[in-house]
Amino acid sequence: MRRAYFKFSWIAAALLAPQLLIIFVFFYWPSAQALYWAFTLEQPWGGGNTWVGFDNFRKILSDPYYWSSVRVSVIYALATTVLAMSIALTLAIFVDRQLAGYKAYRVAIIWPYAVAAPAVGLAFQFVFNPGAGIFSYINTIAPGWWDLSKYPWQAVTAIVVAGAWKQVAYSFIFFLAALQSIPRSLTEAAAMDGARPLRRMIDLQLPLLTPTFFFLLVINITDSFTDSFGIVDTLTGGGPFRATDLMVYKIYTDGFRGFDYSGAAAQSIILMLLVMALTFLQFRYVERRVHYT
Amino acid sequence: MTFKLATTAMALLATAGTAQAEKIKFEYWYGLTGDLGAVVAETCARFNASQAEFEAVCVGQDGYEKAVQNTIAAFRAGKHPTLLQSFDAGTADLMLSGEFYPVTQLMADTGVTVDWADYFPGIANYYSSKSGEFFSMPWNSSTPVYYFNKDIFAKAGITEAPVTWEGMEAALVKVKESGAACGLAYAPSAWIDLEQFSMSHNVPVASNNNGYDGLDTELLFNTTLHVKHMENIQRWLADGYATLRTQAAGKTARDSFVEGECAVFFSSIADHNTIHKLTPAFAWDVQIIPTYEGVERKNTVVGGASLWVLSGKTEDEYKAAATYLAFLSTKEEQQFLLENSGYIPVTKSTYEALKAEGFYAKEPYINRDIAMKSLTWSEPTPLTRGIRLGGMIQIRAEWLAEVEAALAGQKTMQEALDTAVSRGNDQLDRFAQTYAGKSFP
Amino acid sequence: MIERTPILNIATHLILIFGLVIILVPIWLAFVAATLTLQEVNSAPVELWPGDQLWVNLQQAWVQSDFGPKFVNTLIVSVGVVVGKITLACITAFALVFFNFRGRMLIFWMIFITLMLPLEVRIVPTYAVAANALTPFQTIMDWTGISWLINAVSGVEVALEWNLLNSYTGLILPLVATATGTFLYRQFFLTIPDELVEAARMDGAGPLRFLWDVLIPLSKTNIAALATIMFVYAWNQYLWPLLVVTDRANYGMVVVQLSDLVPDQLTTGGGTPTWHLAMAATLVVMLPPIVIVILMQRWFVRGLINTDK
Repeated sequence: MRRAYFKFSWIAAALLAPQLLIIFVFFYWPSAQALYWAFTLEQPWGGGNTWVGFDNFRKILSDPYYWSSVRVSVIYALATTVLAMSIALTLAIFVDRQLAGYKAYRVAIIWPYAVAAPAVGLAFQFVFNPGAGIFSYINTIAPGWWDLSKYPWQAVTAIVVAGAWKQVAYSFIFFLAALQSIPRSLTEAAAMDGARPLRRMIDLQLPLLTPTFFFLLVINITDSFTDSFGIVDTLTGGGPFRATDLMVYKIYTDGFRGFDYSGAAAQSIILMLLVMALTFLQFRYVERRVHYT
Repeated sequence: MTFKLATTAMALLATAGTAQAEKIKFEYWYGLTGDLGAVVAETCARFNASQAEFEAVCVGQDGYEKAVQNTIAAFRAGKHPTLLQSFDAGTADLMLSGEFYPVTQLMADTGVTVDWADYFPGIANYYSSKSGEFFSMPWNSSTPVYYFNKDIFAKAGITEAPVTWEGMEAALVKVKESGAACGLAYAPSAWIDLEQFSMSHNVPVASNNNGYDGLDTELLFNTTLHVKHMENIQRWLADGYATLRTQAAGKTARDSFVEGECAVFFSSIADHNTIHKLTPAFAWDVQIIPTYEGVERKNTVVGGASLWVLSGKTEDEYKAAATYLAFLSTKEEQQFLLENSGYIPVTKSTYEALKAEGFYAKEPYINRDIAMKSLTWSEPTPLTRGIRLGGMIQIRAEWLAEVEAALAGQKTMQEALDTAVSRGNDQLDRFAQTYAGKSFP
Repeated sequence: MIERTPILNIATHLILIFGLVIILVPIWLAFVAATLTLQEVNSAPVELWPGDQLWVNLQQAWVQSDFGPKFVNTLIVSVGVVVGKITLACITAFALVFFNFRGRMLIFWMIFITLMLPLEVRIVPTYAVAANALTPFQTIMDWTGISWLINAVSGVEVALEWNLLNSYTGLILPLVATATGTFLYRQFFLTIPDELVEAARMDGAGPLRFLWDVLIPLSKTNIAALATIMFVYAWNQYLWPLLVVTDRANYGMVVVQLSDLVPDQLTTGGGTPTWHLAMAATLVVMLPPIVIVILMQRWFVRGLINTDK
């Protein structure tokens, strides 16, 4: 990695301090309290709690439905990330060619990110609705084939597509920014050497994109684990029969809706550990291939 | 909304004028959204304009769940509102915490008179302690009914809307034979299929008189008539007398009904107003939910939400909240709510007065008071007072997930309900452990 | 470019147009819903062509939500978040990448972990902090006996309070310090060649001068991308404002107002499914972020300096 550094001084400390102070107050302090509940049975209205040690964890980990929730969460996270990033990358590379109208494409592709959450769920209800939506046209050809209330894989597909849709814009904008910061002199030099556009993409642009790619991979995976509640809630409600009961959705429904703060806290710890492990693996194995300088 | 502007202008004038005593403010967090949320906001504006002493600061919290959740967060930081609108399933924790001010007590302490005996017993019992003291103030109240398409019924030769499940089955058979596309638009609902069904049949949902008598409660609904009922529904779905109509399956039950496709659907009476607004192109009516033959019908219970007064506020705020609650229970205000929603009156005197005025004889209110018939069918029995279960929201979710699995053919209905009961019992154990040594007041 | 690539150009357009269709279908459906009447929006199958109620719905949604002042509030908060976040992310990542000290990775991970526990999970204790942002310090001082010491020495009772409820600070501050920006900047700073740092040091430039004169001009596109994303992120904030702002008249945010318009869907709710109004409001709420996206376009310029070795 880097060999040239400035010497550590009060400047560095002063630069780090504000962020550390804010995350301490607004993240670590409250989170520690919330996570402490995982080892107790907490009364929501604050009437006290009883220490139960690892009981909450034991109860959750012995629940077969919990493990299917973990499985579908992993599937969801991987599928959403792959789908969103590959679409975003493809679009970014092609927009970067700056053909006629590329500005319009650029705005349109970022657009979904601007849509407020309540509308996303509803719009996708319109899309996937087996009786009335766009997918109802499939059912006119093969009646009863598309039914979110019957087929778990279809419900999972629906939330993956909706989740990816929202993420495409995010990945797109950063891919594009990264592509744009590849200096023109480089591409021109390659063109002069006779490299065709497609070749240039693969040999020149993609390696230079790896830092951004790595950033987006980590962020997308983390996000799809921790930020999928809205889509599940409006599209499937966790059904049919728990098929789309993602981990974070379960945390919400148990804790947020059902006031089981302790159970939700224990589930949060498991979710956190899982995401941390995945992130660690990415830093350990994926970042090695990242081409920084 | 011009009304809102007018009140603001008035408020400005008031402050611009002579140095008037500052109004005593209190906060009220409510869950209703959409057009019903607008009704709450307007009720507050009406209250603030009606007198000069108090001011209600009403804050929409986007849904009952978030209203309760946010109130808990604020409560623990000592910044909570005086008044909270909470739904029935979310209040077991609040009851056991004791962090509320029972409204009977509140009214007595602040000297505001409310005629408690005037409340319908089916509503009063649901919101009061064993000794008959009101915990919370009933406001937006409903109960389930079923809606039927009169045109489809007439074509099938059905002259009277059935009040028994046997009659319902016969009617659905006739509807199918008459060539109609869809009989019953069915969407599983724990509130209707489990809770209200058990009330009207006087069968228990759980032991300890549905949880009233202790926290060591066990669910019983896998052993009662409820099982047979769910099996019947499953059979009707299989035989084409009923169709599954949920959002995930393509169209909600209400939409299927409003479009004239399905002949029958079950829902809250609050939907009466909605269906009118959606202007279906056929004649329709409502009927009380059916019971099985040979069972003596009992009352159904109230659904919707009630207003809770929380502990830890000042005397002035309590006085203001008490005045607001008394304001809400006047006939004018109940009528205002009724005219802008599908909810039902909560006091006998208001209901009688409205009936005498012919309120229920004109559209769009005709027959809406069928809900009152259901709610007041009998004096509440120990099993039809209501349900006091911790983790009610998870129990409803377990029931739904299992019933969905049974309806998709993954397991039998009995297996599904057994699983729901055993998982629900885990919730109840957990709840009892959390509140060890406490009991419902 | 000097070369001509007609086939690739056509393919490019085809791919982009195909992508656009997929991306815009849901937005189109939301737009159509905003142009219908209550009866039309609730009828099946879904309408694919707009009706004539757009203006009526927009007006009603605007009035019912009192969007005017809320737009101003949300704009203040969003700009605050963008500025705060970019500044913080930039200086933090700078310190992490260009200084050599022990605990660098630890601090990076500490910042990174904040991504992994969503707000909803920790909302109850976080609210307590917003009600008094100095609680942690008060508690620490109480525990360690510092409060007692101060009290004993000076007779002053230590009671720190800084209430952030119903304030712009309370809306902005917690949104400013998340890890995304820091991580993005780290990724970018890591691509800065060592030679640049060495050259700067040779010139006798201190770290701050290096940051200001070299790094910030280089990270223009990154700033633009991050600003766009952060603006939209802040603009669409919902749960936090819902909780900390009860004085909606003075500090209300747009998406909270929007969610007030979204009809109740609980079984016992009985609200009218006024999706046409909710969608009309969505269109209104969506406009400022789109404008920002368009404005930020100007910053998406191809880098001129060769940062590669």
